[in-house]
Amino acid sequence: MFARINWRYFDWPLFLVVLLLSSIGVALIYSATRNSPDLVDYWQRQVNFILIGLVVLFFVAMVDYRQLSLLAIPAFLIFVASLVAVYFFGEAQGGSRSWINLGGTLVQPTEAGKFLLIIFLSWYLSWFRDSLHRLPYLLMALLFLLAPLALVYVQPDFGMTITYAFMGGVLILAAGVRYRHLALLGGGALLALPLFAATLQGYMLARLCIFLPTDEEGHILPPILNLLRAAFDTLPTECIQPEANTAASYNVDQALIAIGNGGLTGLGWTQGTQNQLLFLRVRHTDFIFSVIAEELGMIGASLILLLLLFVVWRVLRIAERAPDQFGKLLATGVAALIFFQIVVNVGMNLKIMPVTGLTLPFISYGGSSLISMMFAIGLAESVAMRHRKIEFF
Amino acid sequence: MFEERTVRDTANLTMTLFRAGIVIVFLIMVVRMFQLQVVENERYQALANRNRLLRIETPAPRGIIYDSNGTILVRNRPSFEVALVPEDLPFDDLDTPDVDEEAVEIEKVLRILRADSDPEVALRMAAILFNKLGYDDFIRTVQRANVPISFLSEPAFVTPVTEDGRLAMVEPRKVYLPDLDQPLPLEGLVALVKRVVAIQSMGSASDPVPILDGVDRIRAFEISEDSFRIPAVRVIQVPVREYIYGDLLSHVLGFMGPIPALAADTYREAGYTNLNEKVGLNGLEYTYQTELRGSPGVRYSERNILGVDVRTIGPVVEPVPGWNLHLNIDLRLQQVMRDALQEMMDEVDAPWGVTVAMNPQNGAVLGMVSLPSYDNNIFAERIGEDYLKLEQDERRPLINYAIGGLYPPGSVFKMVTAAAGLAEGIITPNTTIVDSGPIYLPNRYFPDDMSQAQEFVSWNHKYGIVHGPMNVVRALALSNDIYFYILGGGFPNQFQGLGPQLLSKWTELFGFGEITGVDLPGEVTSIVPTDQWKRRLFAEPWTTGDSYNMAIGQGYVLSTPMQVLVETAAIANGGTIYVPKIVHHMTDAEGGVQKDFEPEIKRTLPISAEDMEVVRRGMWEVVNTDYGTGRVARVPGVEVAGKTGTAEFCEYIPEKRDCRRDEKGFLPFHAWFSAFAPYDNPEIAIVTFVYDGGEGSAVAAPVTQKILEAYFTEISPRTQGAIAQP
Repeated sequence: MFARINWRYFDWPLFLVVLLLSSIGVALIYSATRNSPDLVDYWQRQVNFILIGLVVLFFVAMVDYRQLSLLAIPAFLIFVASLVAVYFFGEAQGGSRSWINLGGTLVQPTEAGKFLLIIFLSWYLSWFRDSLHRLPYLLMALLFLLAPLALVYVQPDFGMTITYAFMGGVLILAAGVRYRHLALLGGGALLALPLFAATLQGYMLARLCIFLPTDEEGHILPPILNLLRAAFDTLPTECIQPEANTAASYNVDQALIAIGNGGLTGLGWTQGTQNQLLFLRVRHTDFIFSVIAEELGMIGASLILLLLLFVVWRVLRIAERAPDQFGKLLATGVAALIFFQIVVNVGMNLKIMPVTGLTLPFISYGGSSLISMMFAIGLAESVAMRHRKIEFF
Repeated sequence: MFEERTVRDTANLTMTLFRAGIVIVFLIMVVRMFQLQVVENERYQALANRNRLLRIETPAPRGIIYDSNGTILVRNRPSFEVALVPEDLPFDDLDTPDVDEEAVEIEKVLRILRADSDPEVALRMAAILFNKLGYDDFIRTVQRANVPISFLSEPAFVTPVTEDGRLAMVEPRKVYLPDLDQPLPLEGLVALVKRVVAIQSMGSASDPVPILDGVDRIRAFEISEDSFRIPAVRVIQVPVREYIYGDLLSHVLGFMGPIPALAADTYREAGYTNLNEKVGLNGLEYTYQTELRGSPGVRYSERNILGVDVRTIGPVVEPVPGWNLHLNIDLRLQQVMRDALQEMMDEVDAPWGVTVAMNPQNGAVLGMVSLPSYDNNIFAERIGEDYLKLEQDERRPLINYAIGGLYPPGSVFKMVTAAAGLAEGIITPNTTIVDSGPIYLPNRYFPDDMSQAQEFVSWNHKYGIVHGPMNVVRALALSNDIYFYILGGGFPNQFQGLGPQLLSKWTELFGFGEITGVDLPGEVTSIVPTDQWKRRLFAEPWTTGDSYNMAIGQGYVLSTPMQVLVETAAIANGGTIYVPKIVHHMTDAEGGVQKDFEPEIKRTLPISAEDMEVVRRGMWEVVNTDYGTGRVARVPGVEVAGKTGTAEFCEYIPEKRDCRRDEKGFLPFHAWFSAFAPYDNPEIAIVTFVYDGGEGSAVAAPVTQKILEAYFTEISPRTQGAIAQP
């Protein structure tokens, strides 16, 4: 299984940038938590997570990804089954029923599910590659995507739902869809819109309303509000009451103040006032980008953003050089996952997107998010290390 | 590597779009960051600063006030306030449900402050907590602690206050107030303090909440020494205005108090950030509020989201102490004036009295007494019960009647008529008018029926005396009314008098009908009566009788003692109307003169020196001839000129539907005396007024005499031949 490991093809620049980003993350977590007595040791814990993550990364990289195709079907079945189990026996934490109790420890199947979904869809789309131009096979792929999607949606975990949707969509498109089918699917999606609107959870709508442009007092601008009223029977208070809107958007507003406060060059590491004086909330996880922007300024934040997008770019490069369709789709899925999280998280910080609760890859504090990102990079490296070489043997 | 497909699909395009997406996302985000961090940087910086910075003003020391000799009249005395810092109090530990650690600590603090043993402390504390919490919260908190409250028997109005302690703009409610004269038991106070602390903690837990004030220096030190036992206690020094001479100068100096709710906007616009700041509310404290206040220093306290002080930034601006005021008022003269007036008022049992002195050569106010007075120190720490007593006093001692009372001037007005007659050529110094008893003006509607004619008498007629022929000088000396009736209104077919136009013109020229402009608040004036004014007000035309009354300072003419003083000074100095000035100059904290008040001439009267000399001569004869009415005002070694006034007034009694009259049917009199001295080169002009005092010559003139005598023996002695300040 570990035969013919060729470290020459290991993507060292990718790895080094990931390591750099993780180290920057530790420094920022230190800055974000040093004034909170409960959190002061978080940067050390993050170092431990990185060490574990690196082990995972190298282990996954060494595994030949093609072995994973064997896992695809059983893994997918287990995944869907666990989502169903969560639906019936799951435990709620933070408003969404997404955890399952396995002998005393709470497990969130959706985190690992990202990869199971990537692996399964990549396998399916590459295995039936030649048949994809026929509608039934395409619809099959969509069904495999929609099944877990719907189960996550009802938990409800909006962030994970759209992550799955994006990854799955990119994978299916990257596998190749005939334009005429694409048009058909687009039409179908439009028709399904009322269903989506009808099932949209109140809190998702509330988040949307927090994001929507308001006047000084927190009233959503009338034309937009009228549109919302037309689309939904009941609107959450955040959409109607200006006070509720202002109160709910506190975290985002403070993040925006932190970013604007940073200016071009930033206030310096551990010197951001919004961050250090705790005005910025959830600053070591969801809003760590605001810490970057406040303390390192526009220049620092742009550089870090560049590094993050470099990672995506590099993984896409691996996809294009992959020895086979399965590898290509695996890497594309990984790129889509990382890219989506960056866009959604940074977009939320900059208030160009609603709040979703997705963390910033490699930088935000958190064991599961960091290790799963390292796992993703490991997958990409696994593809990289086997590129083309196969053709010469 | 892969064989070309025959059907076009999205595979290659997706990869291209993905890469394009990466670039576009990067660009969008950088542009957005540019917008937030560069374009709108200042706005967000301001918002971030507003989050974290609390502007703290350090008040500058308020200016000191000195009299003309450099004696300190007002200074700042430290007073001490005891406050609690909520975050330094222990929390109520939930593991020990039967003990409230916070209440135990508060009780300890209150015992150290002697709230349990000293009823004064308990009362003071209850008053502060009542003001802080407001009616409803106070009652609720005490009752919840199962402490009985005694209520006042009479209901009173309370104006609800808003959360930040300002008066709410709603209708007052009628409720039974708790009797704050009954000391609350300790448990009640503990509950109240706990409540106040809880409210403060919602704002900033590191800001001290005052729970006791007016603590003297020794107690403050004792409490500070105990502070290791009670870490939450802060002893804060607050400067308090000390008026050393109390009621002697309270009408001049005024007092201070918190910014009134009605004026809050004005002060806010003027840059006052703390609306609990004490500002001058009356007297010089009010007029020179800006100069006395100086400018506060500014520093910033950086706070985190919990309101905990992290550090202090600054002082960004150092406080600039207020300017000191140096008055024209001489404390010794003021004392003499007050004592002399008070003595006479006690003697004749008069409710109000005023005496004001001024240098006629420049308008410098040398002394100003309005009785009754009040002790302005009662406002120093907190406007409380004593203030209510003052407000309810029927004599209204808070009003400075020297500038705030309007009275008929009576005969002290006759110089105006005399000067007008001479200047307008109606009379010459030799024009003779004969007093041969009362004169009668025919009734306008029945000109031939003399029984319906209006009778005008001179004061001397009731003693059976007629003065016979006289010129203007002698008319002033005798204060003969007939002369001035005819000079003012003429006599049908015999003499062309001044008439209403000229009378009102000269009344205005002498400064009646406009405020004198003295640098004190609360000055009033009446308007000068004219034909149009009377038609508008009474729908009746001006009559010759109106002119008669006006010519002797009765009828519709009303003036303040200060206006009479300005008139007197103008006669003394030969025709210059000065703006009276209480403040001579202002200095900064280093003693450098910041502002010197030049004499301010309002106008010069259009009258020749010769004519004015005739009027002055009349005033000289009042005092210095054996037929003058003001002979009691003579001062050895100094030539005094003066004028008596005995002004009838109507105190309307609704039950009688008439004015108050004595048994003979005569109206009561105000006593007036206006004077200046020395005659040749006057350096002091003075007006004394006693409400309902009776004869000016018997009541007001002796007071003036005492003051002048003291002035020329103690303050500006003649023996050295010294001429006081020009």
